[in-house]
Amino acid sequence: MTNHLNDIRNARAIIMFGSNAAEAHPVAMQHILAAKEKNAAPLIVVDPRFTRTAAKADVYVRLRSGTDVALVMGLVREIVRNGWHDRDFIDKRTFGFEEVMKVADHYTPEEVQRITGVEPALLKRVARLLADNRPGTLIWCMGGTQHSHGNNITRSYCILQLVLGNMGKAGGGANVIRGHDNVQGATDMCILSNSLPGYYGLSDGAFKHWAQVWKVDFEWLKGRFDLAYDKKQHNKKGFTMARWYEGVLQPKEKIDQRDNIRALFYWGIAMESQSQMHRVKKALEKLELLVLVDPFVPSAAVVPDRKNGTYLLPASTQFENEGSVTATARQLQWRYPVLEPQYDSRPDHWIMFELTKRLGFGQEFAKNIKKWPDDCLEEWRSGLQTIGYTGQTVERLKRQRDNAHTFDLVTLRANGGPCDGEYYGLPWPCWTTDHPGTPILYDMSKPVMEGGLPFRARFGTEYKGRPLLAAKGVTMPGSRADGGYPEFKGVVKGTNWKTDLSDKTFRAALSKGMAPFGNARARMYVWTFPDPVPIHREPIQTPRPDLLADYPTYPDKKLQYRVDTAFASAQKADTSKSYPLILTTGRIVQHMGGGAETRANRWLSELAPEMYAEVNPRTANDYGLMDGDWIWVESPQKGRIKVKVKVTLRVDPYTIFLPYHFGGVFEGVSRIDRFPEGTAPYVVGESGNVVTNYGYDVVTQMQETKTGLCQIRKA
Amino acid sequence: MARLKFLCDANRCIACDGCTVMCKNTNDVPRGTFRRRVVTINEGQDGEASISVACMHCSNPPCAAVCPVEAFYQRDDGLVLHSKDKCIGCGYCLFACPFGAPGFPTGTPFGVKGAMDKCTYCAGGPEEDLSEAERRKYGANRIAEGKLPACATACATKALLAGEADEIARIYRRRAMERGSEANAWGWKRAYGKSL
Repeated sequence: MTNHLNDIRNARAIIMFGSNAAEAHPVAMQHILAAKEKNAAPLIVVDPRFTRTAAKADVYVRLRSGTDVALVMGLVREIVRNGWHDRDFIDKRTFGFEEVMKVADHYTPEEVQRITGVEPALLKRVARLLADNRPGTLIWCMGGTQHSHGNNITRSYCILQLVLGNMGKAGGGANVIRGHDNVQGATDMCILSNSLPGYYGLSDGAFKHWAQVWKVDFEWLKGRFDLAYDKKQHNKKGFTMARWYEGVLQPKEKIDQRDNIRALFYWGIAMESQSQMHRVKKALEKLELLVLVDPFVPSAAVVPDRKNGTYLLPASTQFENEGSVTATARQLQWRYPVLEPQYDSRPDHWIMFELTKRLGFGQEFAKNIKKWPDDCLEEWRSGLQTIGYTGQTVERLKRQRDNAHTFDLVTLRANGGPCDGEYYGLPWPCWTTDHPGTPILYDMSKPVMEGGLPFRARFGTEYKGRPLLAAKGVTMPGSRADGGYPEFKGVVKGTNWKTDLSDKTFRAALSKGMAPFGNARARMYVWTFPDPVPIHREPIQTPRPDLLADYPTYPDKKLQYRVDTAFASAQKADTSKSYPLILTTGRIVQHMGGGAETRANRWLSELAPEMYAEVNPRTANDYGLMDGDWIWVESPQKGRIKVKVKVTLRVDPYTIFLPYHFGGVFEGVSRIDRFPEGTAPYVVGESGNVVTNYGYDVVTQMQETKTGLCQIRKA
Repeated sequence: MARLKFLCDANRCIACDGCTVMCKNTNDVPRGTFRRRVVTINEGQDGEASISVACMHCSNPPCAAVCPVEAFYQRDDGLVLHSKDKCIGCGYCLFACPFGAPGFPTGTPFGVKGAMDKCTYCAGGPEEDLSEAERRKYGANRIAEGKLPACATACATKALLAGEADEIARIYRRRAMERGSEANAWGWKRAYGKSL
């Protein structure tokens, strides 16, 4: 998120893609509705489903699920052809506009309609609204990312904002709203298989950097990996959350490690949130050891048919823990505990420390931690230079928390008081302990010491002879540099701004009014990605085989995150005849994630007690279904669930929508009697993700849950 | 004396049910009974709108007018409360109420046996303020504690307003004024078309 939620109040236009904030982020809606009311900002909602957010829209655009790139590129074409693009911004602060236009020119209004179903007049109207009302904010959520070409979709959103000149401005920005409390924090710590904390990657350099921070020996750290299998094993990406189950189910020869996965910790994860859940269930059954760490008993304890080797560790809740959490807008907030851990529950860090002790590396793991949680924050703060997670001390965070009332609602800035001049949450990058934080990324209207920032010089100074640094004249107040400059290095010998553990490099840059990471152009042409400029590609399970000749998916990928991923070969098996309906999933307001917590809540379970499938009245009539009838929903991969029909106009006649929060029932059979005594949730239901289809993003391996195929029949 | 009122701004209500949950949790309203509901019309089509509805604490309450046992009473601040001891569960108030506010215990034919239950504006009932008897029969008494009704404090978009009528009117008047400014000005769309 380049801007912050409160900043939406400055927007003159709001366009939302695949985001149902009214249900998924109700508090964000406060700011969206404020902008709509006070700025007369038109609210444009683009979604295959007429959501509760769409109910608040001035313009609702129904597109076929997974066709965002075509629509967005169509908008870019329309904007540029009418001369509504921000030429100055594009010339001086971006790279690759010519390449973008070569692609965008292909997406004529007629072609956009052929792909997305959106009428040319509506496309033109949206383009006009975005052009006439600047700066506008662009918001997206999982509807934009959970696709086999999700990386193309999200990059196309950013290109649209760059072309409009909406980046680095209050009221503008490319804003993805994160799904849970502290997801941004978890991402920044890289609880992922492809990087060490702070997006340092998995190179030897990255390991050496963190070995230095953690005060452990690099060789020892490296030696924890199976170097006998491959001496580069530590540099290799691991399995992803989306496809760990392949590591259990595939034969050994098909995975890039010595042996299959035999033990698994499910730490606060819901199996309900994973696509291909019927295969996840099989993998959970095959594991020798399954440990579930959660405040509530998750479905993974009862849905898989396991006899032995399952352990439940009761984790305490957020109310019983202390520490910092990072919100969607890169803002950190200190959280005080409300009460001591209750009953037998233990905080996550306690479980982690005890576990590492018993596994024999407790000493190294907690080397710098004497006082929890303060020392933990100090440890990561000393090594997270890449994203400027360096100026947020425990003392500053607590002081902000205690003086939250002194901060401005719209700018986030404290006006007087003990935090004078700071932004709430010290949004990263917050370079040094006297830096106020950066509420809006890439905003060059402010000095860097007041939260200003250029685009980062991440990819060198030029590409094939063309400049990657910002043009002359692109500068910010108080900066000694006119125009672009590369990243800082060598201030402390042998280091750069990312690896200098002292704050000398940061201070050297800031004292000149410059950003440590340089001043470059935003890349619209990304030569390191499969599609340098985003193009439309049909989902793996497409309802439109007639478009495959023009918009096929990628070739199959070998050993992507340790296992092969099928793209073209999976798409070739056309399933659209026997599975004629589009399947999409999403959230409902009453439940959260897999629902272990909310389905165990008296009031929430009462308000949303049953799993259902949304079916358009026309489809219901064609299939002979009435509201409340039971149906089987079946996927091309032979997943099947038995759910009730909800007849509603929210979906079009070609689409079935499923919420994904239910669990505890599998293929029509309830497992509620398997819960340990007194731990069963109030309500259980079939999991929507049993029928979400095979398909994973080509770069991130994000699961394709938003566009799939299914068939329905009366149960 | 100031009159206490609710107002739900349908332009802001996103049907998140936060008010419903806060109400049930604060007043321990049994499963199956609701003092507050969110109603949505035109679901999934143009003109979809939602509004949170509970007892509106009418100035001239029709429920009280039809009650055969005079179970209702109106406080000086305008709140319409009732005595569950006097109530005979006849259900006349439900027929009279334009908002469907009165609720009855579930599990019986037509759900009308047993004493009526409705929104108290988090102000308890005729028993002594903050007493155990009041808590058991009517739920919380936040008004006696100097607090607003729980539902309104939880509203994510500030759609549901509670408080003194003058204050609510002031807030809403301001919103109406802002909505009528710039391109939202009255008559603008009619004069210049829907494109802003």
